[in-house]
Formats: sequence, structure tokens, C-alpha cells
Amino acid sequence: MHRKSKRRLSGSGGRVVALLVAVAAAFALVVAAGTLAGCGSKKSTTSTAGKGVTPPPPLNTKGKKGGTLTVLTASDVDSMDPGYAYYAFDYEVVYATQRPLYSYKADSNTVYPDLATEMPTVSDGGKTITVHIKSGVRFSPPVNREVTSADVKYAIERGFAGNVSNGYASIYFSVIKGAPKALAATPASVSIPGIETPDKSTIVFHLSQPSGAFIGALTMPLTVPVPEEYAKPFDAKPASAYGQHVVATGPYMVANDKSGNVKAGWNPNSFIHLIRNPNWDGKTDFRPAYLDKINIKEGTSDPSVMARQILAGSADVNGDSPPAPAMIKSIISNPTQKKQLYFTPVSGSRYVALNTSKPPFDNLSVRRAVAYVLDRRAMLLTRGGAIDGIIATHFIDPSFAGLGFEAGGGYSNPFPSVNNTGNVPKAKEMLKKAGFANGMFKGATITMVADNTPPGSNTAKVVAADLRKIGFNVKLISVLHPTMYSKYCSSPANEPNVCPNVGWLQDFKDAQTLLDIPFNGKSIVPANSSNWPQLNDPKINSAITAAEKLTDLKARAEAWGKIDKMVTLSAAAVPWVWENFPTLFSSRVVPALMTWNQGSPDFSWISVK
Amino acid sequence: MLGVIAGLLMRPFRSPMLRYVVRRVLWGIAMLVIVSALTFIIFYLFPSADPAQLRAGRNPNPGAVAAIRHSLGLDKPFYVQYWLYMKNLVLHFDLGYSYFNQTSVRAEIFARLPVTASLAFGALILWLLIGIPVGIISAIKPRSILDRLTMSGSLVAISAPVYWLGLVALFLFANDIGVLRLFPGSGTYVPFSQDPVGWFTSLILPWFVLAASFAAFYARMVRAQVRETMTEDFIRTARAKGLSERRVIFRHGLRAALTPVVTMAGLDLSGLLGGAILTETVFNIPGVGRYAYDAIVNSDFPPIQGTVLFSAFFIISANIIVDVVYAFLDPRVRF
Repeated sequence: MHRKSKRRLSGSGGRVVALLVAVAAAFALVVAAGTLAGCGSKKSTTSTAGKGVTPPPPLNTKGKKGGTLTVLTASDVDSMDPGYAYYAFDYEVVYATQRPLYSYKADSNTVYPDLATEMPTVSDGGKTITVHIKSGVRFSPPVNREVTSADVKYAIERGFAGNVSNGYASIYFSVIKGAPKALAATPASVSIPGIETPDKSTIVFHLSQPSGAFIGALTMPLTVPVPEEYAKPFDAKPASAYGQHVVATGPYMVANDKSGNVKAGWNPNSFIHLIRNPNWDGKTDFRPAYLDKINIKEGTSDPSVMARQILAGSADVNGDSPPAPAMIKSIISNPTQKKQLYFTPVSGSRYVALNTSKPPFDNLSVRRAVAYVLDRRAMLLTRGGAIDGIIATHFIDPSFAGLGFEAGGGYSNPFPSVNNTGNVPKAKEMLKKAGFANGMFKGATITMVADNTPPGSNTAKVVAADLRKIGFNVKLISVLHPTMYSKYCSSPANEPNVCPNVGWLQDFKDAQTLLDIPFNGKSIVPANSSNWPQLNDPKINSAITAAEKLTDLKARAEAWGKIDKMVTLSAAAVPWVWENFPTLFSSRVVPALMTWNQGSPDFSWISVK
Repeated sequence: MLGVIAGLLMRPFRSPMLRYVVRRVLWGIAMLVIVSALTFIIFYLFPSADPAQLRAGRNPNPGAVAAIRHSLGLDKPFYVQYWLYMKNLVLHFDLGYSYFNQTSVRAEIFARLPVTASLAFGALILWLLIGIPVGIISAIKPRSILDRLTMSGSLVAISAPVYWLGLVALFLFANDIGVLRLFPGSGTYVPFSQDPVGWFTSLILPWFVLAASFAAFYARMVRAQVRETMTEDFIRTARAKGLSERRVIFRHGLRAALTPVVTMAGLDLSGLLGGAILTETVFNIPGVGRYAYDAIVNSDFPPIQGTVLFSAFFIISANIIVDVVYAFLDPRVRF
């Protein structure tokens, strides 16, 4: 998923869309074997990511019941509707209030059956996936009734409706037989024959082809049950209003009134109040849900104030924005405070996209010249240096190391330079190869559209300065982060030559989620395109199509490792950082992190001391 | 007969004063229309985010974006959108719905207005209480140490950005992160109806921060006004009549000097009622200014338009009131 404006990883500027990090390894093994696993695999991701990464806190299994958690955020959730939620902060609320088919324990990437009773049964050569759901799971008031498999079917179908506009339904769930290819106007017009519910506790997915990513996607909030009879009137509106009337299935719910309106619990850009869901039965859940109440205070725009309030104990954790880099440095130097700060590697990378659809970056050698000349160390410094992460040299991040991607060629750095500060002679060599006699680019001024606030604006200045070293005249246009995406970089017709502030994060622990959307030619759409380089290489496209179908873990890793190498060598995008996300807890709480969700606080596992 | 009725209807407008008031009100309405049109033009013609694309999520098919654009009414020509907006505004006082979270802009602004009013009125009282006495003292004792100190201080207060001053106030005086821990800090606002004491204490720091630059400006303005007034002939006459200096200053000098101050205060207050964006942002106060800030960050046009119109309404209304009051005081203005 691309990085949106709300979620700021370091300093300010880049909002990051939701990140789901599942354990595809476990899933893939299940798929390959075509058998039913008794429970979720305990295998966790091997994390070798960068300097500054701290081990997650131990699983909080003996927390004290009760208490209130105060969370500080700079901004608001995109929506309370699990069918729309697609951003890390959304997930903090969704995974505390809802139960998708599968989810995660705190402080690990381990997947557990959540609404499902067990891991899915795979049959018919990987084309039929059967999931049984638990009995005794009930919707919160005012619905109150027991959840059935039909609620999951409706939830997935409504995700394909334009007025719900789920961001990933068409990516991971369109492989279901009969799933719409284009979004429909309302959920009422969507019916997916490939989803069957033979009884109240069984849901069967018939796929048009085997899909290595489909089971991983069952951890996503689209599988959160939605009661059709209750949601239908809200879903009939031009933009679904279910988010303002959402009902819960998890341990917590957004405070609401008798009609289900959550206004009492959610005042956009002001607060979110989560209270216990009276219909939640702990016996059906693996989450302890120690806290009685979670108060989310939105609008804390200054990251220094935020960090100081947490250290002072007037708040307990940062929900969407990191502490200011200066504060992080100060905290790290304090032995007591240091124990309250956790760094979690963010799976995905930031990169500079070069528009391959028009000159001069339709020329491979010119692109490679840029890949050589960029001073990635200086770029990293614009985001705070080593505390922000480590320099990226390709796209499958180090959390995947050791899973077999190396066999395909992943983990290579085809454009090396001393200390990653850029290699001007090699860049000039590339330009000579492209036909520029003295190794200096000569041609029309190129355009670059970037953030108008730090750190993105500073990164753009570094990129522009580096490009000038090899003869480019750069016209830098600075705009708001959402404008940068929607008007320029995501709009192929308006796309500039260079987009220096883009990035992509995984949806769950599968390399496909890192490479398929941002570099598949099929992803180039007229609006909101996520293929920012507009890379449309037939060889890469066909390699992706073949890899999507692979369900064998080893073969899959090798295939995606190969694609990683191909994309990196294309220099259509130049990766430069794998980031870590800092989460700061007050001393009055026992911490718990959604390791799979960028290290966001896990409300279902945190307790007060 | 018709002529008689028309004559009766038009009779009130024979009054130059009434004609003037009607003219000013009509101009005010015209100004609001111009402001709304300009905001529309700025949003649509200059680079801004496309709400339909923002809403559509990543990699949508073109049909999805088109469907969302249609549902938001963004597929209509610019002038049709503007016409529909103004029609809903005039007929239903409907300011539209947020593209971001589908909440009613009117409801949000009215819910937040008491918050902003609390901040603005409190700050107004403070800056008048500080600015006027300081200005008078400086005017009475020009070039004294007190005058030099207060005027230098006022320069600092005018020059200090509100954002910076707010952070300094928090780091010094907030009861959670401050050095002295005296007053509630960021994110502590509670409505008056819930907790009057909490409401008052949570606004002490924001009031001072918001009032600081105004107080400094007013001190300088009062100083200049009082000094000028004190050189007028009527003051010399008052002194010649043997009145005490205190009586000369307070009964004669100040009354004349403070008239423009009252006018300025009205205009400044009206501007703040549209939202004290920086103060509300630094102290995380959920007022109209904070609402405008969030809308700008999210490229959420209906709240931007709503808050701009709201702010313009207050400013234009205050201007009209001031003009009308002046017209009452000075008949020359009416013509």
C-alpha cells in the first residue's frame, strides 16, 4: 500500500496507509500441503532490519484487568468502516473492535484463527478454500445477534461497491469466481457466486485460479463480518454511512447510542472513545482485553508535545505519529526512558519513482545514471538519519531475509557507491552509454513534484541537487502530500518525470504485496494509479503473473526474489530507505505492539500497571 | 393605487441612513458571494487533491473513481457545482458534507463555535485588560524606563509567532510537561457545560498566548492614540480650566483616544470567531480553526469552504456594524 499523508514515520509529512504483516510462510505451507492446520503457525518473521530496531516487548499474558489507556494522535481514522479501513491507525481501532477471519497476537507476526475456528482447508488444487467460523461470537448493540458466515460474505461483497470503495478488494479478492472486475454502485448490486455459505458456520471460497496471496488476505479487515439487515440502509447512501453506525464483534466497541450511531464515541479529528463490547465473550477469543476503556485524543499535531506528554504520564502512547527525531535522540540517551521506546521495522520502502512513459526516463541507461548518482545517505539524513531506518537498495525488505528470496536474485545492490553517497563517475558512464557524449545530460527541463513540508520537501531538494550533478535542469513543484499523489504522481496523464516522495508497504507478509501493485503494468490506471514509475515491462509483467499463482513457499520466494532483482535493475524506481517506526509508552502501562502493523499499539494486549 | 403602494413601500428608503444601511448589507452579501466563488475557483483551478481519488483507495478502476465522483457531485461542471452549493446554502443553510468522513459541515461548525468563542472572548478580555493600561501608562510617561520596557516587550510579543509562543508556554507552564507545572496543557479542553472549572483552567494558557500579540499591538496603538489626543486643543482647554491631570486624562483624553480601539477590537474579535487556527492547533482545542486546519491538511473542500465563509461572515458583519455605527455618529458618511 502506498504511503499516505496521515501516518508520519519520522518527523512529519508522510502518512502511511495500513500495513498488515501476516505470516505467509505458515499460510503458504498450509496451501502447499493442502491440509488443515490445527492452529496458527508459531513461525515468526526473521527480522534483520536496521540499526536501532528493538526487540518487541514480551507478550503481556498476566496484565491487570481494568483501567483506561490514553492514546495521542495527530489525525483521525479514515473510517470506522472495516470495509474501508486501510491505514495503520485505522487498524489499531479495527483490530480492537472487530474480528476478521484471521488476525495476530501482539508482539509477533503470528497469525491465529480469529473469527475462524482453525486454519483454512485448501482443496481442488488450491482453488477451493473452506473456513469454519466460531459459534458464540455476537455483534455489539444494537444488533446483538450471533455472527454467521453470511455476514462475512456480505462484508466481502460490499467491499466491491463504489460507495464503500475498499482499497484492496479488487487486488486480493477478485480471484474469487464471479467477483466484479469493476466496482458497482452499491452493495445491493454486488453478488459473488464464488462465495458460498452452505451453513451458518461455513464459508467456501471458489477461486478462478490458485492464489498464493489469497489466504494471507483473509487477515484483512474486509473479512470482518457486517450484518446485512442492519448495514443495508447505510450502504444504500451515495457514500456508505456504515462507519458512523458501525457495530463491533471484538472486545471493544466505539461508544454509541441506542440506534447504533457512534457520535458519542467518535468525533472526527477530536476523539475516539472505545469501551467494552458487552456481547464479547472472552472464551471465543485469544485476546485478553485487559483495559476497560481506550481514549484516543486526536489533534496532537506537535510531535515534541506528544512525546513529552507520554513521558510525563498524562498520555500513554503515540497512536499514529512518531515522536520528533530530537526527542527520540534525547529519549535514547536516557537509560530509563529508553526502555519505554520501541522501534519496529516497517516492511516496505520509500523510493524515487522515475516516469518511464516519457523521455528522458524511458531510457534504461538514463534511469540507471540516476540510480547511481543519488546520495541515499543524504536522503536518509533528511528523515533523521539512522534512527529512521537503514538504506534500501532493493524492494523486498530485510524482514524477508532467509526465506529463500536470495535464490532468485533478491538482496542485490546493482548500483553501489561508497557509503551510499552516490557514484557520479558511474552515473556519467551510464549517460555516455545513453548517448550523451561527455556524460552530462542535455535536454529539456524535467519536472519533479514533491511534498511542500519536511521531511519530504528536504528529500526532494537532495534528489534535485543530485540530478543537477549530471546535467539535469529540474523544475521542482511543491504541493500538499495528498495533492502530490492524487493530482500528479498517481495520475498518469499529469505525472511528472520524477516523484521523489513515494513509497509502498506490504499488506501482509508476502512479497507479492510489495511488488505486484507498484510494478505491474496492469496497475497503471487513469486515476489513483499506484504504479508511479508507470513500469510496463512485458518480462516483469509475465513473471509477476506466473508468481501470483505459485503456492509452494520455496518456489514462490525464488520467483519474487527474481522479480525484485528485475525491478531493481530496471531503475524505474530507486529505493532508499527501509524505515523503523518508534512507539513510545508511558511508564504506567505494560506495552504491547502490533508488530505486524508497523509497531502500532495493540489495545487488546496493553494493560495498566 | 399601485403608485400609492409603491410610494408607501419606498417611503422608508427615503431616509439616507436606511439607504446607507441597505447598501452596506447588500455589499456585504455580495462580498460573501465573491469570497465563496473565489474559494471555489482556488480549489478547482489550482493544484489540490482530487476528493474522488482520495476516497477511491489505491489502484481503483476508472469506474470506481467515476462512481465516487458522481456520488459527490464532482462530475458536474464547476459553475453547476457552485450554483448547487449556493442554492443549498441559501435555501437550506446547508454547507455540505465532508468528503473525508461524510459529516455535516454546518453541524461541525456550530458544534465547534462555542469552543472558538470561548477562546476568542477570553483572549479579547485579556488583551484589552493588558493592552489598554500598558498603553496609557506608556503614553503618560513617555521615554520612562517603564515605557521603554513595555514597548520593547510589546515588540517581542508582536514578533513572536503564536506557534512558537504556544510551545514555549506549554514547555514552561503546562501541568504535565512544563517546568513550573501551573496550568492544564495541550488537549485538555473540556466544554463549560461539563466542567466549568476545567473549562476555565484549560483555557488560561491559550488565552494568554492568543492575547499576547494583540495586547502588544493594542498597547502600542493606545499609546500613540493617547499621546496624540493629549496634544489636542480640548485637552489644553481642560487643563486651562483647572481640572486635575487625572481627570483630564481619564475623562477627556481616554474617551477620545479609545474610540478606534473599540472599533479594532470588534474587527479582531470577528476575525477570531472564524477560528484561531494556530492557537487551536498548538493547544489541540477542537474549535473552528482546528476544523479548518484539518480540512486543509486533508484537502477536504466542503469544510474549507464552510469555515472560510463563516469567517468572512463574521468579518463582513463586524465591518457593516462599524460602518453603520460610524454613520450614526458622523452624518457625512451616509452619503
